[in-house]
Amino acid sequence: MFRNQRARTTLRNRPRGNLRILWVFTIILFGILIARLFEMQIIHGEEFSIKAENNRIVQTNIAGSRGLIYDRLGNPLVNNTVSFSASIVPSLLPSNEQFRYQIYLTLEKILDLPALEITMQIEKFQETSSSSETLIIARNLSHQQALLLEQSAPDLPGIALEMESQRTYLGGPALSHILGYIGAQSTQEWEQLRKKGYGFNELVGKTGLEAYYEETLRGTPGKAITEINAYGTKIKVLNELATVPGKNIHLSIDQKLQNYVSELLERGRGDATIAAAVVMDANTGELLALVSLPNYNNNIFSSSKRDEEYNKLVTDPNRPLLNWSLNPAAPGSTFKLITAAAALEEGSVTPKTSYNVDSLAYEFLGVDGITYQFFDWRIHGLIDLYEAIAWSSNIYFYMLSCGFPQEELPGLGNDIEQSAVTLSYYARHFGLGTKTGIDLATSESPGLIPTPEWKRRSRSGKNFTASDREWYYADTCFMGIGQGDITATPLQIAIMTAAIANNGKLLTPRLTSKITDLEGNVIEQKSTIFTDVPVSQRSFEIIREGMRRAVENGSASLAKLDDISLAGKTGTAEFVSPDGITREHAWFTGFAPFKSPEIVVTVYFNLGQGNLKASPIAGKIIQYYFNNMRDQ
Amino acid sequence: MFRGTQSLHEWARFDFFLILIALALVAYGLILIHSGSAVSGGSFTFSFQSPVVRQGIFAIGSVVVMILLSRIDYHALLHYAWWIYGLSIMSLVLLLIVGQTDFGSTRWFDLGIFQLQPSEFTKVSLILVLARFISNSGGDAKNLRTLLLTLFLTLPFLFLVFIQPDLGTSLIFISIWIGMVLVAGVTRRHLIILATFFIALIPFIWTFGVEDYQIERISVVLNAEEDPLDSGYNPIQAQIAIGSGGLLGKGLFEGEQTQLNFLKVPTKDFIFSVLGEELGFVGAILLLGLFLLLIWRGLRAAQFAGDTSGQLLAAGFVTMILFQVFINVSVNLGIFPVTGLPLPFVSAGGSSLLTLFVTLGILESIVIHHRAYRQN
Repeated sequence: MFRNQRARTTLRNRPRGNLRILWVFTIILFGILIARLFEMQIIHGEEFSIKAENNRIVQTNIAGSRGLIYDRLGNPLVNNTVSFSASIVPSLLPSNEQFRYQIYLTLEKILDLPALEITMQIEKFQETSSSSETLIIARNLSHQQALLLEQSAPDLPGIALEMESQRTYLGGPALSHILGYIGAQSTQEWEQLRKKGYGFNELVGKTGLEAYYEETLRGTPGKAITEINAYGTKIKVLNELATVPGKNIHLSIDQKLQNYVSELLERGRGDATIAAAVVMDANTGELLALVSLPNYNNNIFSSSKRDEEYNKLVTDPNRPLLNWSLNPAAPGSTFKLITAAAALEEGSVTPKTSYNVDSLAYEFLGVDGITYQFFDWRIHGLIDLYEAIAWSSNIYFYMLSCGFPQEELPGLGNDIEQSAVTLSYYARHFGLGTKTGIDLATSESPGLIPTPEWKRRSRSGKNFTASDREWYYADTCFMGIGQGDITATPLQIAIMTAAIANNGKLLTPRLTSKITDLEGNVIEQKSTIFTDVPVSQRSFEIIREGMRRAVENGSASLAKLDDISLAGKTGTAEFVSPDGITREHAWFTGFAPFKSPEIVVTVYFNLGQGNLKASPIAGKIIQYYFNNMRDQ
Repeated sequence: MFRGTQSLHEWARFDFFLILIALALVAYGLILIHSGSAVSGGSFTFSFQSPVVRQGIFAIGSVVVMILLSRIDYHALLHYAWWIYGLSIMSLVLLLIVGQTDFGSTRWFDLGIFQLQPSEFTKVSLILVLARFISNSGGDAKNLRTLLLTLFLTLPFLFLVFIQPDLGTSLIFISIWIGMVLVAGVTRRHLIILATFFIALIPFIWTFGVEDYQIERISVVLNAEEDPLDSGYNPIQAQIAIGSGGLLGKGLFEGEQTQLNFLKVPTKDFIFSVLGEELGFVGAILLLGLFLLLIWRGLRAAQFAGDTSGQLLAAGFVTMILFQVFINVSVNLGIFPVTGLPLPFVSAGGSSLLTLFVTLGILESIVIHHRAYRQN
């Protein structure tokens, strides 16, 4: 019955279908598949194998531990520490834009970094790097942030918590200008450094010794060849190329002296906002201390409050980030030492040449027909060259540099321009007007030695008149006492003083004594570099004697020490401050001991008088040296 | 019980070879599913969460269904073909209303312990209704009216699956229709007219019927490197997997593309890539060989069929399996857009497996019962 029912459902026609067509289909379709398989696996198998390798194998740089920096006595001034960072591998982020932004928003909450900025950073990163590389998006996370990130990272594909090596500086703010700090590369730096094999995320020295000795400290990075899965998780390390740690740098700086000088300047600065001091070996150019105030704490650059603190430093009107020992000011009377040397060499003066300074104010008719008023700071009476140096007579040094025409007293040369050129010639040979070449990356200023030629060149253009360009009688006179357009840095004054002390060796100052490797083997021993100053020994002797008398019973007498004979020269340079009031810079530069000079001390304050403010501090520094450092 | 002796004869006619091939494919699949889902090193722990165990259980259940179906005369199914057809359409409509949406596509009913994908079963219902209709219309499709009516019977499925959207299954419906009418017989003139009509229709479908993501997937086939991290990712990784397998493969559980998760959906749509990577050209040819044998046994059933309806049923099933294999493998080989079709018998998935064993059951029924309907 069932069968009958079915019979009504379907007609029982004899099958006559064309099954061959399905065989044809099968052969064609399977033929296509096999041909394609053969092409991919047999013909192009190798290429695909390489692609598979590239998929799973990543090569990463392992930064070698950065070299350390030690002071003169071997005290470490810096430590390598670990800090937490947040990293992103762009290629591991979800392709869906909405999900991606969701991740950025989560990061914004944890890192306090706007999601928009994260987006921009990644876009910028992808312009120069392949998106499978790692980008550090935030550094120096607080422990709280690191903990939060570590907990959230598994839900945020492409985001990871990284540990990076950071620097902790142990020397305190007094050493900040010398050591500098490290930081992330700028785009311009990356352009250069990538050619040297740097990774984008590597921290590099930004200023100070960290920057100057970047390649020495960095060492050779290692490489790790790692297998990763599709989510970027490391599965196993396949191969590793060991890192070579960076080399260690040994400074000539004495950490204790550096701190002591820094404290002295801080305590003695009074109304001065800026101060600098140089303590240098008079024969080698090794710096024992190089101080600049105000200073800053370079550990803020590895703190989580980096940006905030950095902004404070940048907006501070006293510019704590600048190393003021390498920045120029009018040298004032310290320059008289060079004027004296020039006059002695040119034969226009002898130690016996005397002048009666019987008034505080003089009127001179210049060769240019203008009447000038010149002042001295004290009625010196009849003085010779020794006394003129000791008491820092302005009138006497005007006589040496520009001469007094109506008294038929010639200056250095036949005319005022030639006098200026001659003076600038000696100034240059004493190291002024050019960089000293100190091993610090901080932008060092060359200072300025004016000449008639310079004045014509620099005062050209619409903003100046012909009389602005003219070289006046007074230009030469003022230059002779270190005033006017002339400027020099405390470090330049220090090497100039050293050249007087050591009979004419103009030293290249340096902060480092040697470079060693991890085992302590000396790789490079720094040597003394100098050029000769074209001044005779006799002239130096005369100048040194003048300086001795300055301390003994002259203008620098506040530097005088009971048991140590020293020589020095003060400087009180007038300048017109931005508010229009004439103020004074305070200088002292000198050396000790007088007989066989060992150290040079130069002290500078942006406000104050050399004899009152700078001299006593220089005396204390020399005292400290003889009490504590002489035997080292 | 009056047919007791006949029952023995029926078992004698049962095509054990066909079932053996299918089981070999399932076993092959189980190994690959294990490789694709294993956390590491191929060690195996029994768990009902394991896709291997689930697939095994589905396979056992499906074999039981197949054996039961083989005992039933396929004409009983043909008898209810229209009912089944109607129910299928209703289930697809229902799916659009309450179905489960994943990856932007609505394909499943969520039944708690497993997800039911009705479009799998609707393929069988289409084959049943086409076989019955053609058989009742004189046994061929040379008549234009018959030809167009078979097309109209196919269109509702095509439309309902297409808007899920499931391009792959839509293509299978079209293939089934083409395969069955070609086997039944069409005139060359009609064939040319229809082909022209379809070609004319393509731009229209491209503009109005295809979603953006589908266009993207198609253009990815033409140039996969264009967008390697987004829509190009899966096909590129699949090609790298297969290509890097070479002649002999990297060894079972040793394929880095698979084991390091570069390959996505490695137990389902891209299981062929696991095979290509780990067992190489040889392993892939072995799989295709098994499919060829399966098609051969399917066509043998069609040859044996006692009447037109039986033959068309068998031809429909063979067409379905053939195109599903072709499209799935083509996607893996990067010569076809990503469509989301499983590899028959091999990919993890209960609905697909059950449907395939249902077709095998019906094929067995055709073989077992062919004598009763053979007309000389």
